[in-house]
Amino acid sequence: MSSRRPAAPGRGAWAVLALVLSFVLALAGCASPGPDPAATASNAPTDIVGARTPDQIKQAGTIRLGVFSDKAPFGYVDSSGNYAGYDIEYGNRIGQDLGVTVQYVPVEAASRVEFLESGKVDVILANFTVTPERAQKVDFANPYMKVSLGAVSPKDAPVTSEDAMAGKKIIVVKGTTADTYLTTKHPDFQVTKFEQYTEATNALADGRGDVWVTDNTEALAYTKQNDKFVTSISSFGSADTIAAAVQKGNAPLRDWLNEELVTLGKEQFFHKAYDKTLKPVYGTEVSPDELVVEGGKA
Amino acid sequence: MPTSGIELLFEGRNFSRLMLGLWVSVRIALLSMLFSIVLGTGLGLVMNGRSRVGRALSRVYLEFIRIMPPLVLLFLVYFDLTKVAGINLSGEVAAVVVFTLWGTAEMGDLVRGSISSIPAHQYDSARALGMTELELQRHVVLPQAVRRLVPLTVNLTTRMIKTTSLVALIGVVEILKVAQQIIDANRFEYPGAALWIYGAVFFIYFIVCFVISAFSRRLERKWALS
Amino acid sequence: MDFGFIRESIPLYGEAALLTVRIGAVGIVLSLLVGLVCAAIQFFRIPLLRQLVAAYVELSRNTPLLVQLFFLYFGLPKTGVVMSSELCAIVGLTFLGGSYMAEAFRSSLEAIDSIQFQSALSLGMTRGQALGHVMLPQSLALAMPALTANVIFLLKETSVMSVIALPDLVYVAKEQIGNTYNTSEALVLLVSFYLLILLPISLGARYLERRVRYANFGD
Repeated sequence: MSSRRPAAPGRGAWAVLALVLSFVLALAGCASPGPDPAATASNAPTDIVGARTPDQIKQAGTIRLGVFSDKAPFGYVDSSGNYAGYDIEYGNRIGQDLGVTVQYVPVEAASRVEFLESGKVDVILANFTVTPERAQKVDFANPYMKVSLGAVSPKDAPVTSEDAMAGKKIIVVKGTTADTYLTTKHPDFQVTKFEQYTEATNALADGRGDVWVTDNTEALAYTKQNDKFVTSISSFGSADTIAAAVQKGNAPLRDWLNEELVTLGKEQFFHKAYDKTLKPVYGTEVSPDELVVEGGKA
Repeated sequence: MPTSGIELLFEGRNFSRLMLGLWVSVRIALLSMLFSIVLGTGLGLVMNGRSRVGRALSRVYLEFIRIMPPLVLLFLVYFDLTKVAGINLSGEVAAVVVFTLWGTAEMGDLVRGSISSIPAHQYDSARALGMTELELQRHVVLPQAVRRLVPLTVNLTTRMIKTTSLVALIGVVEILKVAQQIIDANRFEYPGAALWIYGAVFFIYFIVCFVISAFSRRLERKWALS
Repeated sequence: MDFGFIRESIPLYGEAALLTVRIGAVGIVLSLLVGLVCAAIQFFRIPLLRQLVAAYVELSRNTPLLVQLFFLYFGLPKTGVVMSSELCAIVGLTFLGGSYMAEAFRSSLEAIDSIQFQSALSLGMTRGQALGHVMLPQSLALAMPALTANVIFLLKETSVMSVIALPDLVYVAKEQIGNTYNTSEALVLLVSFYLLILLPISLGARYLERRVRYANFGD
């Protein structure tokens, strides 16, 4: 077994080691949080930690918005790789009126608060429903949409009331309003939780649950396109609003967003955004005024 | 209307987006692996070294990292490092840091294992032949240890590529996230897309990791002859 | 840090930990079986089966568990095969672990001089006896670091099971992060419970590794 000759891999390995070592030193320079804000990746928020005021954002020339990248028609990525949807219309307009470039950061439902708290994004625009628990952790601007819960179930076995859900297999997406509502109001319900919208809808289609509880907008959008399922409860739970959120205490940015909403209200901006992104999905069955909030006044 | 969804792969920029996502995964894995090999070799030597303190410390490090699911480390480095220490890393840098921490521990253990698997009598024989410690390391231990190490290292590399799918949770768009975006954006037109898109991702991962494994096998064979 | 919250959550995590351990244990035992069978097939170079095993090993080792699970759980139902999430998890873990175990056995068997096998045969042992009494005991010592690493690897891999809605530790932690925003508390609990499961196993594995190597002393 023992070979006394210095085998080839020995020398090769040392050469590789030397090469790698120099590489480590080179990269250590980039990774260390020195004063030089060298961005290493396209979505690299390496410059400032924490909240930024509108003036600081303007100075930096870029605003970072946390959005969904897999929740059509609110925030998704189209086939050309561009962000699109109702939330994105709003986001683009924010960037335009601030005069800065928009950098979209895809977030998961359950980590939206984290992204704000750690200053990874300036604003969360990810279909974020206003709740008292969330308001303790972040500051909400005024709303731009109304929402309540809805339930989707198979056409041939519809679940038509909240009480009828007892004993049924309920599907929700983790960290959404539906999840919080069912967990606090009905801890005895049998709830299966998924991480992504894609997973929840696929599970529903594969018969892994009897009913899917989600925002009623989402429920309507889904059943509109899917003949096998109906929105068997179109509105329950508390009537909530959806708003942009900023880091706790970032009053300047929140105030700016609220003023912006007033300006946008005058030109009926969100009705236009509705027509562009949501109407193709909802069709004429839903009146835009049931969902859209103009000027920040629900 | 079409229900299969295979054509979705080639619609718009979907395919090139998947490839870009793949490049993100592979880039993170390879960078982390490079660092891990260097740091892990050092760690492995310390683990087999004479210093008791060094051995104890490296053990604690290994056990700690091994036990932490990478997901937890990702959250700690990406979110909590910012909140606690004010160090704001981008998702990708955070991922490289985490995978390097993890890879170093695993590499260290592999290096330790392959060195200590060399039977004690070889050391004795080498010393009896009058070799110095350095000669012993260079001519007896290293050649055998490296040979044992190569397949294990490649094993770790493919594992690392595969684990990168977790970085989607800290906002890095890699191949699996792109897949989910495609499935979701088209869920109305192509409800069956999950099968094809996930199938494609499965296949792409397979090709990449297979090529790497095949390369290592060639290396192994070549070295085995010398 | 909200210790009241942590105390209240402990039973929740305990339950999740049990699930993690149960699925992990079943998956690991099945993986060892699959691995041993595959290694034996490769050792005896059984035609056809050998090629099948090689294909399986490549397919399993070169794809992520997460994607395998997505395929089992979301892809297969489109063709009419619907498995529960627990079954998917066990099938996925065994599919993944089997090949890792097989490789650990195979490479350690190859490291042992084939002259030993031939000597055993010339002493009148059957091929099975030679494998079981001569080759395997020695190879186990060599394979031990890889085997224990695999066990820990597989237990940790169970952390991706939450994507198919299996309420394991990660699932519970993410649920709490998403609903109550007690992120630090949830992560502390998550880490503590993984520590509780894996530390004894890791230390036990180390002990075992030393014992087996001791048995090998003198070569």
